[in-house]
Amino acid sequence: MRQPAMPIRSPFESSIAKPGQGNVVLSLLPPNNPTLTTLTYKYPLKLVPRASSFVPGSEDPDVSETCSSRPVHLYLLTYGGGLLPGDHIEVSMQLEPRTRMVVTTPQGSTKIFKTEPNNANGIKLIKGHREQMPSHQHLADMSKQSLDVRIGRQAALCYLPDPSVPFKNSRYAQVQTFTVDASAKGGERSSLCVLDWVTQGRTSRGENWDFRFWRGRNEVWARDEKTGRKRLLLRDSVILDDETDDDATLEESLTVERDSTGLDSHTAPPVGTQPPPAEHTSLNVIKERTRPHGVVGTLIMAGPVFDSLGSFLMHQFNSQPRIGGQNWSSTAQSSEPDPSLSSKGEVTWTAARVRAGFVLVKFGAKDFETAKDWLGGLLRKEGSIVREFGEEALFCL
Amino acid sequence: MLQETAQSHQLQDEIDQLEARLLDMRTQLARSKFTSTCPTSRSSWISQDAPWKASTDLDQSHLTRSQFHSDSVRTSSLHALLLLSDSALPLGSFAYSSGLESYLAHNKSLRANPLTSFHRFLKLSIASLASTSLPYVLAGYREPATLETLDNDLDASTPCIVGQRASVAQGRALIGVWERAFRRSFAGPGPGPAATDTGAGVATTAIEDFSESLKLFCEGQDEYDPGPQGHFAPLWGVMCRAMGLDLHQAAYIFVLNHAKAVLSAAVRASVMGPYQAQSILASQTLQETIMERIEREWNTPVEEAGQVVPALDLWVGRHELLYSRIFNS
Repeated sequence: MRQPAMPIRSPFESSIAKPGQGNVVLSLLPPNNPTLTTLTYKYPLKLVPRASSFVPGSEDPDVSETCSSRPVHLYLLTYGGGLLPGDHIEVSMQLEPRTRMVVTTPQGSTKIFKTEPNNANGIKLIKGHREQMPSHQHLADMSKQSLDVRIGRQAALCYLPDPSVPFKNSRYAQVQTFTVDASAKGGERSSLCVLDWVTQGRTSRGENWDFRFWRGRNEVWARDEKTGRKRLLLRDSVILDDETDDDATLEESLTVERDSTGLDSHTAPPVGTQPPPAEHTSLNVIKERTRPHGVVGTLIMAGPVFDSLGSFLMHQFNSQPRIGGQNWSSTAQSSEPDPSLSSKGEVTWTAARVRAGFVLVKFGAKDFETAKDWLGGLLRKEGSIVREFGEEALFCL
Repeated sequence: MLQETAQSHQLQDEIDQLEARLLDMRTQLARSKFTSTCPTSRSSWISQDAPWKASTDLDQSHLTRSQFHSDSVRTSSLHALLLLSDSALPLGSFAYSSGLESYLAHNKSLRANPLTSFHRFLKLSIASLASTSLPYVLAGYREPATLETLDNDLDASTPCIVGQRASVAQGRALIGVWERAFRRSFAGPGPGPAATDTGAGVATTAIEDFSESLKLFCEGQDEYDPGPQGHFAPLWGVMCRAMGLDLHQAAYIFVLNHAKAVLSAAVRASVMGPYQAQSILASQTLQETIMERIEREWNTPVEEAGQVVPALDLWVGRHELLYSRIFNS
């Protein structure tokens, strides 16, 4: 765990107490002037706004008329370009009605640094005291990032970051919560486009899904401002867990819990005292479950601003060539949209229009570059993101 | 014809298994009756903690005694257990391969050895089911009153339309079976499961209420409220509670039924023969896999449920792209 020798003073820094916390409020000041009315953050987090000169085009009168405000671009940075074990990043953002925000990660991939092997050994050594130590130790070793964004009516968030790259032996958990205004209907709904992807690690070092734990959870809630009632609209949760040595600790802590309830303390078998079976350690569970992909990800789209993009992706998906079918048509080759975009063998993807008008794209590709080219290609070809948010929204793609 | 043989074999095997289990339970019950006079005995606690791990050292004297204890069947949940594990339960599960068909199409090169490839799929499929759906089964059983919320949350968590359709179709079929067949016996007047477990009564009410709101809901009133859907997993948990099964049984049959469905799909997709499928179903390995996964997810709250096999979502989602299909998922 690193400590800042000298905390870097930010002119915006104020009441934020905990390290890694950040708070952003984007308001629309009259007449039509998007302004960050709050911007605070603390080491190791850094939030840098960039006044964008981009003004959304007026090709689509429907959209432009209702929310024509200029997008504000926010860079999400961490010192060192990644997260160390024990780092907790907690960003809360509020997009007031009719505002637009672009969030990118200009440092390249979010590196998840490894948990020190010393710690792992330490866990093995303190077996006798595992009741309290291991779970805390694991928690302390885990890097965490939480992002909580409230998107007002007619507001839009475009969040297309770089993938997260978990290093060997790292542990990471990320929860991203997006709350939309439940009372907004039709064209006034909040819009969001969120990408979440994870790679196998540093391929240059031969890493291939060698981390311990990675969890990415994305939730979209609809909240009624008047009644305060919330409804879960979408939850996308991916858990990549190598299920090795925390297995025993987990079971043990459960046994301990059960013991403490006094049910059958004498009959509980001594779980976890034996070493884990050999095949557990030799088999890379995560690799097995992601095969043959080197990167997996999810793209979530909702709301009027991303309607056309959603429809475009659905169309692209549905016009992929049938699997295992014969190509009887002689003209098929020329009518195929663009082989480099939609039917590239190295990207396996699926798109679904799920409930509440959400379009969910899931993909797996052989490596980061392939996924990036494929997704960037599709988004540029459709064009509405560039039109509405400017080329810089696709910075990471 | 082939299918019939397979089915009769499957049934026969199941009957054998269940008979063995019946014998087991009778013995246990007889023993607990025998020891109930002595208040320090906690054998029943042990078996509740892990019924599948409970020792089965059969006492010979109980085996040789030739008396049928009708009470031992009556008080156990055996009857309900048999009903719910029956492959003839009209849920339409045979129509779904849970991604197997698509997996095979996507992994053609692996077909050189289809059996190895299938084993891999079965393992991934069970792990995925346990991490995504099982927490909802457990939550439905533990808190039947939250059925509607669980249904909404599972619907929100189902990323692909193919899986969503399969889950909803089977869930609604399950409600149908309840209304047309089970309700009369398990929720009617008389000493039903509710007599011993107040939760069973809550569960019954939850199913009835849910079924009612499923019928009454009119679509399109609120974009953000898609209404009740009828997903399979939470309903399964609630129904097992209403029918007096214990939580371990509810979880185990849920996963086992899934394994049976995948195996049956494999037979029909000509990956293997019916005997081979039975031998996998009967194997110790499968049992161990199922128990390991259940144990892992036993205390997973539904908020923490998630996909551990990202590749499976892709296969299931791309089922729609198959040129020819014999299954609905």
